[in-house]
Amino acid sequence: MNTINKNNSTHSQRNAVSEEHNAVSEGRNTAIEVSNLQFSYTKESPPIIDIKAWQVSQGEHVFLSGPSGSGKSTLLNLLCGTLTPTQGDIALLAQPFSALSNRQRDKFRARNIGVVFQQFNLIPYLSVAQNINAAVYFASTNVSKTASDAKLRHLLDKLQLPSHVLHAKADALSIGQQQRVAIARALINDPQLLIVDEPTSALDTDARDSFMSLLKDVAGESTMIFVSHDKAMESYFDRHCSMSELSPSTNHIKTRGDEATKAQERA
Amino acid sequence: MLSTIAIESLKRRKTTAILTLLSITISISLLLCVDIIRTQVKTSFTRTVSGVDLIVGAPSGQLNLLLSSVFNIGTPTKGIEYKSIAALQSNKQVSWLIPLSLGDTHRGFRVVGTTNSFFDHFKYGDMQSLEMAAGSTFTQPLSTVIGADIAKSLGYKVGDKIIISHGLGSVSFNNHDDHPFTISGIVKKTGTPVDKAVYVTLQGLEEAHTGPKHSPTSMLGRKSADKANEHEHEHDEHTKEHAVYNSEAFTPESVSVVMLGLKHRVTALQLQYQINQSKKEPLMAILPGMALAELWQIMGNVESLLLGLSGLIVICALIGLATMLLATMRERYQEIAVLRTIGAGPFTLLLLIQIEAMLLTIVSAALSLGLVAGLMSALKPWLSSTYGLFLSSPLFGQSSVIIILLILGCTYLVSLFPAVAAYRRGLHAGLNANS
Repeated sequence: MNTINKNNSTHSQRNAVSEEHNAVSEGRNTAIEVSNLQFSYTKESPPIIDIKAWQVSQGEHVFLSGPSGSGKSTLLNLLCGTLTPTQGDIALLAQPFSALSNRQRDKFRARNIGVVFQQFNLIPYLSVAQNINAAVYFASTNVSKTASDAKLRHLLDKLQLPSHVLHAKADALSIGQQQRVAIARALINDPQLLIVDEPTSALDTDARDSFMSLLKDVAGESTMIFVSHDKAMESYFDRHCSMSELSPSTNHIKTRGDEATKAQERA
Repeated sequence: MLSTIAIESLKRRKTTAILTLLSITISISLLLCVDIIRTQVKTSFTRTVSGVDLIVGAPSGQLNLLLSSVFNIGTPTKGIEYKSIAALQSNKQVSWLIPLSLGDTHRGFRVVGTTNSFFDHFKYGDMQSLEMAAGSTFTQPLSTVIGADIAKSLGYKVGDKIIISHGLGSVSFNNHDDHPFTISGIVKKTGTPVDKAVYVTLQGLEEAHTGPKHSPTSMLGRKSADKANEHEHEHDEHTKEHAVYNSEAFTPESVSVVMLGLKHRVTALQLQYQINQSKKEPLMAILPGMALAELWQIMGNVESLLLGLSGLIVICALIGLATMLLATMRERYQEIAVLRTIGAGPFTLLLLIQIEAMLLTIVSAALSLGLVAGLMSALKPWLSSTYGLFLSSPLFGQSSVIIILLILGCTYLVSLFPAVAAYRRGLHAGLNANS
């Protein structure tokens, strides 16, 4: 909360992006609030991310675009808490997320953030039910098994997945089924924040439209950050943010992201 | 859930997991086998004889005397003359005396010449007396009492006649065919070398070697009236003549070994000293407990070495386990990233890898216990017939539990290497870094 107060006090310094956002999100609580955020993989290297201020309101669906290597996934990792900012603050759902301990961040992420990966990234040797229930287990919520099972079946119905796939191994599913199971896993704990990282990059236009309709339908009131380099998808979202606007100082060299990737691999 | 993930992960890598499981199972089995044999040999040793305070024989060495008299192994010592035996018998400290005459065999089993005092006074295990499974002790000079294993393996029953052979070889060309012994009794199973021995009367044994000699003087000091010199094998007549046969009444010229029971055990050391210092006939008296301890010390060194080597083999197998887990780490980076983003902390990843390692070791240990139990059960007859090792229950004791716990501890330690690798990876794992 201190972080939020501090950020409020520095409201006048926010850039044009956040001002535009304020108009859109009037009347809503803030889901994501980023201030003076900097991140670099090594002490010597220049920052990959340098965002003065950025806000996303609760329930807002934001499209985040940028070319490959612009720092999109790094920003998502920072929002997930799998990376720690070099400098600055991130507040999620009114919690000083970047100030939490690693363990607290893991728990917060498990309970409040759903993630859909680019490659869907199901654990191949686990069944569909085990993949989804793993997310329930790590969230350590007090939801009963009956309620959790009911929620799972409801999600499968909504995602048009037959119930027999529950017992199938993840790697035995088609790409489309894997995609929907990944969404079910991301939503099983009713996350308030949904982070989706380029899930449509391998899909044709029809499949992409079908996927987006489904995602928007099941995401409901969750706040969503959807990352893609395909600007044609902008129309599905409440707002579009580009990495070049969010982090202008780090996006003037196109190859920096590649360096970042290498640095991350080294780390 | 973590154990489910660990089990499914191992099932996914089943070929390497099974090979690792096999190597750990074999190494734990080896270690358990060595430990069981070590423990059982020790138990077998200590239960072989009890209640005997001194063993007296010709001077030959403590171990030789012990092995030949108690374990029926090795070459018996030169005999003790009757006058020395009589002197021992008349000693005020001596409560009872068992003479043993060694050196013959029956179809590979040792023949021991003795008297009924053996069945009265010899004790094994926790001061257990010998009991008859069938028949009775010696009833006439050419009576024999056989051990349970002999009765079972050779199919003998009370009343059968057997021929003993001169010498200790399993095949002898010098059989005492004209002196068949009649089985008067079968000793109940003891789990000691008694089960594999043929007990005959001193009188019968001496007659078989030298011809008949009718008890001139009792070893117990009684005089015998009968000093006939003719040797006639009219065993039925013997039985009729001696309704209750007194095997102690016969006086042998010499015996191989004498076991002594004392009125007061505290005098054992004193009597041992007296016997060893005797100037009439050079004799050697040993305390069975001390001799057993010395024998065990020699055996114990070899078995400690074997135990150490087996332990090293287990360590190698566990390092193999850690190597297997480390080798699979690269292909698990994506899995680690996924687990991290759905809420698993780095410590959870560390725990997951350790659970996998522990699972493999626990399954291996369970398989090993089953394998060793089966193996020992199958080899039980062979171990007892070839090595005189009598396996007793329980097969797995405290030391087996300690070994399993130590192995689990070692598994925990060696699995730290891949587990820490997963932990470190978990610290940096995130979404695909392709931005």
